[in-house]
Amino acid sequence: MTSVSHTSRYLPSDKMAALISDHYQLIQVMSRFGIPLGFGDKSVEQTCRENSVDCETFLTVVNFVLDGFANYEAAPEVSIESLLHYLRQSHIYFLEYFLPAIRRKLLEGMPLRTDDVSFLIIKFFDEYMREVRTHMEYEEKTVFTYVRSLIEGEERSDYKVSTYSDHHDQVGSKLKELKNLIIKYCPESTDSNMLNDALYDIFRCEEELESHCHVEDCLLVPAIVRLEKNSRSAS
Amino acid sequence: MPRKEKTNIVIAESSPVLAAGFAQCLRRIPGLQANILEVRTSADLRECVKSAKPDILLVNPTFGGIFNPEGWKDDNFSPETKIVAIELGKLNPATAALFDEVISVIDDMDTISRRITNLCTVDGSAEEKDSLTLREKEIISLVVRGLTNQEIADKLFISIHTVITHRRNIARKLEIHSPTGLTIYAIVNKIVDISDIKI
Repeated sequence: MTSVSHTSRYLPSDKMAALISDHYQLIQVMSRFGIPLGFGDKSVEQTCRENSVDCETFLTVVNFVLDGFANYEAAPEVSIESLLHYLRQSHIYFLEYFLPAIRRKLLEGMPLRTDDVSFLIIKFFDEYMREVRTHMEYEEKTVFTYVRSLIEGEERSDYKVSTYSDHHDQVGSKLKELKNLIIKYCPESTDSNMLNDALYDIFRCEEELESHCHVEDCLLVPAIVRLEKNSRSAS
Repeated sequence: MPRKEKTNIVIAESSPVLAAGFAQCLRRIPGLQANILEVRTSADLRECVKSAKPDILLVNPTFGGIFNPEGWKDDNFSPETKIVAIELGKLNPATAALFDEVISVIDDMDTISRRITNLCTVDGSAEEKDSLTLREKEIISLVVRGLTNQEIADKLFISIHTVITHRRNIARKLEIHSPTGLTIYAIVNKIVDISDIKI
């Protein structure tokens, strides 16, 4: 058998605990699929079944996150509903948990003052958060709704998925700008450990957002294109 | 075309030992922010270029039989991709000439770093970076005071197009694209005083 990537691929029979121990970034994937910790020595397949998660989709995302690319043709069994659920949970994580947590750390590490640029850095952060929220809400309202109607067999001519995914670059470059502003121009901090922690989180957030957008572009979009084709040929 | 945030590098090498070694070396190049993907087979290479066109493709000349750089660029509509050969023994000069660059397994870190960095440099942008002209600083100070492009043009007796060009150059040099970011830069670099800024 030829190895297909720099990680060997994970299989349904692998132990769930081994996956997480090997690559801790998979904690996020697991949690967004709604799988809680504490699965003992159960296999991926068994854990997925007990949590009503589509195992094929879970492993496709897992292997994709680790490899950075997907052979979608070879994985036609991905469930779009599961994928949408995963992406929706991922949005909630960024908007309701991760970004507000970074904001709190910034405020603790660099308390607001009117005689330095700290308030401008927070202002920039708030602008950034608003942009991410707008983008994610757009995806849920427009794209996800469109996909659901395709699944239900409705005919839709008002939208095409090819108009999607242009937004991703903007969201990414704004975060890079924020990172550089803090690294280069941050005022003296009152709690440098806390500020470093915030910066560390921003780097991690950048990576996670990239990976998230990548899942949308490389797994969701091809799945939708396929759905569009089927819906056209059915009508 | 928007400036690339990161360099996409794909390593096409069937030996995982070699591929991992090159990936590790690339990660050590200072200032290179790279997304590195390793592929082992031609099928994986095709799949992975679908999601992102590589800026640099590091490839073993024997990958998938014989790897033909020109043919690959044509097949993948990717003439901008720089193709670098991985040299194990001595590469025959005619083969080496087909590639944009050659990196040997016996090259030291400085050589690898120099060769890859040269491939990533965009025409001359390195030197002019960071050095703002007086006019550009003047424009920053007006932008962060809240003037519109038209107001700046009127004040400096230049056309609005010139203002826009200046602003574009400023954004590129500083890698700052937002008004708030520009304000932070201007205050820290004492182009304006914090009391001049309306919040």
